[in-house]
Amino acid sequence: MNKEAVLVKKLKNATLKEVAFSELLDVYQERLYWHIRKIVITHENADDVLQNTFIRVYKSIANFQEKSSLHTWMYRIAYNESLRFLEKSNKKSYVHIDEVSSTHLEVLFEDVYFNGDEIQIKLNTIIASFTEKQKRVFQMKYFDDLSFRKISEILKISESTLKSIYYTTVKIIEEKILL
Amino acid sequence: MKKSRKNNDKTSFLKEGFIDTISKNHTDYLGTIVPEGYFKKSKTAILDKIKSEVKENPVKEKQQLVFWMKPNIKYMVAASLVFIFGLTFWLQNANKKDDFSTTNFEILSFNEDYLMNSLLVDDAEFEALVDATLMNEIVIKAEVYERKMDALFINSLLVEDSLIDTYTEYFFLETIIL
Repeated sequence: MNKEAVLVKKLKNATLKEVAFSELLDVYQERLYWHIRKIVITHENADDVLQNTFIRVYKSIANFQEKSSLHTWMYRIAYNESLRFLEKSNKKSYVHIDEVSSTHLEVLFEDVYFNGDEIQIKLNTIIASFTEKQKRVFQMKYFDDLSFRKISEILKISESTLKSIYYTTVKIIEEKILL
Repeated sequence: MKKSRKNNDKTSFLKEGFIDTISKNHTDYLGTIVPEGYFKKSKTAILDKIKSEVKENPVKEKQQLVFWMKPNIKYMVAASLVFIFGLTFWLQNANKKDDFSTTNFEILSFNEDYLMNSLLVDDAEFEALVDATLMNEIVIKAEVYERKMDALFINSLLVEDSLIDTYTEYFFLETIIL
């Protein structure tokens, strides 16, 4: 039985759940934080969403059917929680869908926990110009170091489509970053 | 915080691929940082929040159901039982209908208003009415008259009756005509 399966078994055991959950946090907290941060932009928002994600994981682990890996399942929860957060905050600020990217850039550059130099600002600007799908695929592949198979399970997009999207975005970045 | 000049070379930017840890990867490429000791504090905060959430809303552990108690199986069993009962009920009703229609025809066939009888049944069932009527007229009535004849002769043997000749003639005629 692999490490993940052992961890899942402990998480489903009422007596071992607390200890196993602490172990789960050690393994996945940082990864999930960055996954969320890239979607919700600021550190403060990412902190809130990360907490909500782990609470949801804690409450739902007993019903986890192990059809996918624990890693994929948690990433999907984090992704959905992030989108839910964005929907709520976009509704509150009445931001038009076309203005979301530029608003996100403004928010990013004003964030206390952004320390980007010229080229990093440029990269963020290029990524902000991508479609949502392109953004997620590029970020999960390049920054989260996920395999195409895992990304396919999280985003429910075929691997071939993912590869096509990824290589398109890489090409765009390579061209624009040198400008 | 001092800005890094590490990425000033555009041609080599992003070429390294994944750098060391995920946090370093994000910091070096995206310029996004986290507060010092954030993940340790965050872990404690999450565990505390879960404890308080669980206290307020205890998680009900889903009990593992035995195979035949699973909802899908229960629905299938219930559907099968409903189907069996429905089929049994339908078959019983189908049989009763035939009995009823047979009895109905038998009752109608005793009514000698054949024109009226023909209006009371469907075209599909008319042949059955004709059969019942013929059965009544030819077979049943003949049987009845024959028995009356037998009774008459037996009576005449036991009791002398001056009108016996008249009765005999009448019944003989009827029997011949039938």
